[in-house]
Amino acid sequence: MNKVKSIIRLLNYYTCMVGMLFLLPLMLLTTSDVLMRALFGKPIPGTFELSEYILSVSILLGAAYTQQLRGHVGVDFVLKRLGFKTQALSEAITGILCMIITGLLSWQGLLRALEESTVSDMLRIPQAPFRFLVFVAGMGLFLEFLLQVIESISRLLGGNK
Amino acid sequence: MSPVLVGVLGCLLLLLLLFWGMPIAFVMMLVGFLGISYLSSIETALPMLADNLYGGVAHYPYTIIPLFVLMGTFATSAGITTELYNTFEKWLRRLPGGLGIATISACAGFAAVSGSSVAAAAAMGQVALPQMRRFGYDPKLATGVVAAGGTLSFLIPPSLGFVIFGMLTEQSIGKLLIAGVVPGFVLSLSYAMIVYIRVKLNPKLAPIVPGKVPLKEKFLALKGIWETLLVFLIVMGGIYGGFINPTEAGAVGAFCLFVIVLLKGRLTKKAMIDGLFDTIRISCMVIFLVAGANMFSYFLALSTIPSKVSLWIAGLGVSKYLVLTIILAIYLVLGAFLDAVSMMVLTLPVVFPIILSLNFDPVWFGVIAVLMMEAGLITPPVGLNVYTLAGIARDVPMGEIFKGTLPFLFAIFITVLAITLLPDLATYLPKMMVR
Repeated sequence: MNKVKSIIRLLNYYTCMVGMLFLLPLMLLTTSDVLMRALFGKPIPGTFELSEYILSVSILLGAAYTQQLRGHVGVDFVLKRLGFKTQALSEAITGILCMIITGLLSWQGLLRALEESTVSDMLRIPQAPFRFLVFVAGMGLFLEFLLQVIESISRLLGGNK
Repeated sequence: MSPVLVGVLGCLLLLLLLFWGMPIAFVMMLVGFLGISYLSSIETALPMLADNLYGGVAHYPYTIIPLFVLMGTFATSAGITTELYNTFEKWLRRLPGGLGIATISACAGFAAVSGSSVAAAAAMGQVALPQMRRFGYDPKLATGVVAAGGTLSFLIPPSLGFVIFGMLTEQSIGKLLIAGVVPGFVLSLSYAMIVYIRVKLNPKLAPIVPGKVPLKEKFLALKGIWETLLVFLIVMGGIYGGFINPTEAGAVGAFCLFVIVLLKGRLTKKAMIDGLFDTIRISCMVIFLVAGANMFSYFLALSTIPSKVSLWIAGLGVSKYLVLTIILAIYLVLGAFLDAVSMMVLTLPVVFPIILSLNFDPVWFGVIAVLMMEAGLITPPVGLNVYTLAGIARDVPMGEIFKGTLPFLFAIFITVLAITLLPDLATYLPKMMVR
């Protein structure tokens, strides 16, 4: 089990790292566009749509690792006041609900990507691969919540704090 | 079941799951999905889940979020907090509570190049807190100053608070950012006055720092603020003059700070990777919250609750300022339990239509809302800035830090009152904008 857990966590970490690599190009692209427009009156064609695609890559690839760091915020002050077992049970239930919604998100992401045939206005870049990342994000999140549920249940059954 | 009843049940389910600890973005997506499935059809709700998220992550105006966060990351790496603090400390140290006032001034300066209040509190906690403690400042005052000073980043542009408000209400982000300039200055001044008055009344809180700084040294210290001034002028001047849009301003601002960090040779590999991971984490958190809020808002719109509530309130015939006071009181209570961004995404779908129906200026309300969210950062039992500081000042109990921030809450209320009585404080600059 620990090995599967490590693999999922590492996978989400490296996926996020790929998304992270696009942040500096996003900054450089927009800045270059502004400079080209200001200095030569010639903006970089397609900056708008490239920025959108870059943002989708960074955010969708980073979503699961953000959850690994518990970065998707929640209200935990009630939970903290509950007993140890109730806390574990609550986490397991909310984790299952999160698995349901991210599972649906992932499934729909895949279907919508397969149906998608749109290309961007200027550079004619197909949208489908970027839409496919909704599936990747949903799946990564699903696996993170699955790990959370397994951990909560094992805490509930094992009773180790 | 009537749509309104479904909407009310949806809101109750949302609250239940929220306080049960489920991440807010996914609560909103789940409840929104269930509500849309019931009020429309599951065939509508299912593809909407994926389309709504993709629409959020592939939306040009939202690229401003990672870019503004990057600005904060590079500003921190550039050591701007230390330089600002050293400059203001030399000029203000002899005043009653001088180091506290210098801290607030440095926080305001850092806020002018960064949008993250937690980053500001963390960075300033490392720089200013040890100094204040060394010179015998009361721990409550010292920690309170840093925690409250950090909130300025949420108001002074570039501010994530205004960006998120603009995203949720479809208001011009540029105008909102410009609207924050004067209120940000007023609030900084109010914070400084609070420190000054408290120390004047009780000098034991903050002994005067010994040793006068020669005038030459004071002027030489001014070189510590040029980077902040330059970046702020490029970013906000660019937006105000209509040369660049807010997203481009974020990119140019981040680029300028990136160059500054490179020139100073302060960009370590570790700092860079940590900063980029932080940027992704914050951006993901915010964009997923907004995507969740959009799903939930669509459900609420189907339930007709926002329009019915707006009509009902307009029909009551009570003063619109009474309604505003009630909304602000709700924000104050919610701020005690929720973080600022979550509070905004949860309340604006219902509150904003009410504000519009009462003919309040949306940009003006943006400033008021952001100020109230700021209050939420330092109100107990959940105050993100106080939590951050408690991690730095480990010998000061969290309760003491919360007590230390209370006078600054008062300053926020005074600023809200001032902007309500004189709306031009917030709306004059945006009205003067080129575009």
